[in-house]
Amino acid sequence: MGVRFGYTILYVPDVVATVSFYEAAFGLRRRFVHESDLYAEMETGQTALAFASETMAELNGFAIRANRKGDLAAGFEIALVCSAPHEAYHKAVAAGAAPVKPPEEKPWGQVVGYVRDLNGCLVELCSELPA
Amino acid sequence: MTLGRYTELPHQADAKAGIEAVWASVSPGEGTYRVLPDGRCDIILRFILNAAPVAELTPIVTGPTIGFYDVPLEPGSGFVGVRLRPGHFQRILGLQPIHLKGGALVGEAALDKWPDLAALCAPASDPQELADRLVRFVRRRGADSDVEIAALSRNIISALHASGGRLRIAELANMHGVSERTARRLLLHATGLSPKAFAAIIQFHRALRLLRDHHLSPADAAFEAGFADQSHMTRVFRRMGGFSPARLPDVTLVTISR
Repeated sequence: MGVRFGYTILYVPDVVATVSFYEAAFGLRRRFVHESDLYAEMETGQTALAFASETMAELNGFAIRANRKGDLAAGFEIALVCSAPHEAYHKAVAAGAAPVKPPEEKPWGQVVGYVRDLNGCLVELCSELPA
Repeated sequence: MTLGRYTELPHQADAKAGIEAVWASVSPGEGTYRVLPDGRCDIILRFILNAAPVAELTPIVTGPTIGFYDVPLEPGSGFVGVRLRPGHFQRILGLQPIHLKGGALVGEAALDKWPDLAALCAPASDPQELADRLVRFVRRRGADSDVEIAALSRNIISALHASGGRLRIAELANMHGVSERTARRLLLHATGLSPKAFAAIIQFHRALRLLRDHHLSPADAAFEAGFADQSHMTRVFRRMGGFSPARLPDVTLVTISR
């Protein structure tokens, strides 16, 4: 029996607005947006970062705590590896991301900063792990 | 369109127009049909299906209910309806759902209030034509309406739905950065029900699906649906559905999800 990590789906109130935000704030590109506007994937290589409408969660039969800007962030983060984390942080904040912690260099040499996206999800903006 | 018991016509649902579902139902024999509370308002055409054309049409506009009720059926009587998404009732019909709470306007009473329903009641070649008329009616009235549904109201209802009715109004208010009073008012305005009553309906429907579609045991369903314990779930089922979770009748579960 084999297993591999498939994808991560964030349930959001507005899939199209979230895709546009991830493009504008983080410079990711959309892979596709379903015509129903209920599901979309970003171009993130083998393991997709996907967004699905809260309606989909309900239709799938599970209950979730919705992600909201005004709420405590849920206990997970999306980490985006950036060539220039400081620049990425400023660009994200200028596009409407909520600042949490400006990028700083960690003892292991990696630069790491945090913002919250339009829905309140925690996003880490970091440099490549030093070899 | 095949008619039988309650059937939804998925291709006619139109979330943007406020149409959660278009449905039809024809009773093959006498009896009663149990309607479970779904927190929604419907515009319905009742008819007698003897032969084409479909005639003797009666318009019915139903408000939100908090308990089940039984509709007596005559053989060959049928219904075609549109179920509106929360918040859209006022946009389409110009009436706040709270004014129809637990009630319905039938026939003349509905025509007095909305004279343009009369055009929907002309003889039709088949029930599908009635469904098409209802959809056009909702789209046209929606296009002419100057009532807009605030994003805040939509987001609060969406979060409550996504939680399976488990988030309290105080939490919903906090998450959306508004006072509890504002959140309560928005929900009452959109649904005609108190936040507690509306949440209880969503929780009831979810528990029903966990039992019927996910085949969970009553104990597992009660836990996942967020009831304090199984006997709490049983009390809610008796009150809202008139049956026990241990012996689910063949109930009709409508699609409610926003």
